[in-house]
Amino acid sequence: MVCAIMLASCAKPDAPATTFYTELRSVDKLVLASMTITKMATVDDMSLAEAKGLKQTADALLSKVKVGDRVAAYSYDTYLRAYIDMSALSPDDITVDERARRVTINLPAVRTEFAGRDLGLREDHYRVTGLRSDIDATERAAIKERMNAHLKQEVERKGTFRAAVEQQARAKATRYFESLVAPAGYTAVVTFKNS
Amino acid sequence: MKAIRILRLLIVPAVACAAVWLTYRWCISPDADSLTIHSATVKDVKDMVRLCSMEIYDEVPVKGHVGPRHLFAKMQLRGTVNFDLEKITADLTADTVRVTLPPEEVEVLESTDDDAYVVIDTWNDNFLGSDHFTTAEENTMKAKVRAGWVRRIYANGTIARARAEAVANLSAMLSGILHKPVIVTDPTPRGTLPHAKTDR
Repeated sequence: MVCAIMLASCAKPDAPATTFYTELRSVDKLVLASMTITKMATVDDMSLAEAKGLKQTADALLSKVKVGDRVAAYSYDTYLRAYIDMSALSPDDITVDERARRVTINLPAVRTEFAGRDLGLREDHYRVTGLRSDIDATERAAIKERMNAHLKQEVERKGTFRAAVEQQARAKATRYFESLVAPAGYTAVVTFKNS
Repeated sequence: MKAIRILRLLIVPAVACAAVWLTYRWCISPDADSLTIHSATVKDVKDMVRLCSMEIYDEVPVKGHVGPRHLFAKMQLRGTVNFDLEKITADLTADTVRVTLPPEEVEVLESTDDDAYVVIDTWNDNFLGSDHFTTAEENTMKAKVRAGWVRRIYANGTIARARAEAVANLSAMLSGILHKPVIVTDPTPRGTLPHAKTDR
């Protein structure tokens, strides 16, 4: 019993799971635009002038007495892409007017998604001096995680990111389908369904 | 004696009040943070016409070492197999359109899901040796994992499956738009490894 309690107390409660998951998905997406978004973060001691409230003031005071500096800047890119799910395109969405030599295509709505982010982190600046601790791999992973959460909130809050890439995608789709039917002497009228 | 008692009666509540006030101020004050996250900036917006026929979501271990220093982490990869439709050349005026499937582009990125990259352990084989990894060392380790992952999806037939799906999808899309038979041929059904886009 005592041994069990001792062993239980030694276990790390928040140890990350080490099981690995794989998913393979067949899709039919027409990717029409991609936006590269750069996110940057800096690690630096807070100055007394910047400190707000008791905790930050205490931290700024503590940083003053520490020997050395701990300053770094990291950045990485995230990719937002706009696509059309072509599996949602039915034969009824395409009509051909032979007399007018016109093809009308009612495409599925343009959607956006995060394609992913850079695997690596760019170290734009690194200066750790004196008795200050290095910024290690665990801390960098935590920094990237916070940057990622911040970026996702920002993209949700400001609709301009998605709107810009969607607009680019609609323009590209229109040009592409027009160029596809033009050699056969047709003109294309491209419309998009509402999301 | 009486004066001391009066002073004590005044000081004790004053100290208690100050302690409560300080605790309250401490609790409501914002947390100290050495990290400043700056606003996102748009580097570029590119247009393209790429058919994506396969998406792969994979959690992979990142295990490596530099001398006696070791790192073990878990990373979520998001891979997509794409085909650049602007590279297609075909006679679209022919009665039957014949199209050759272009080389695949394998894009491998880290997922943007929560906890997509978690460092589980770092250690040094030498007693009291540093287990610190520089950013460059860690990036090199991740790049090796990505290169191995790309080789694996070629070897296990994922790319062949993605190309077969792309042939079917492209054929359906073009025949629907052009209103005529479309034959899509694939000269390299197992994929074209030199075209694998492994760094972005």
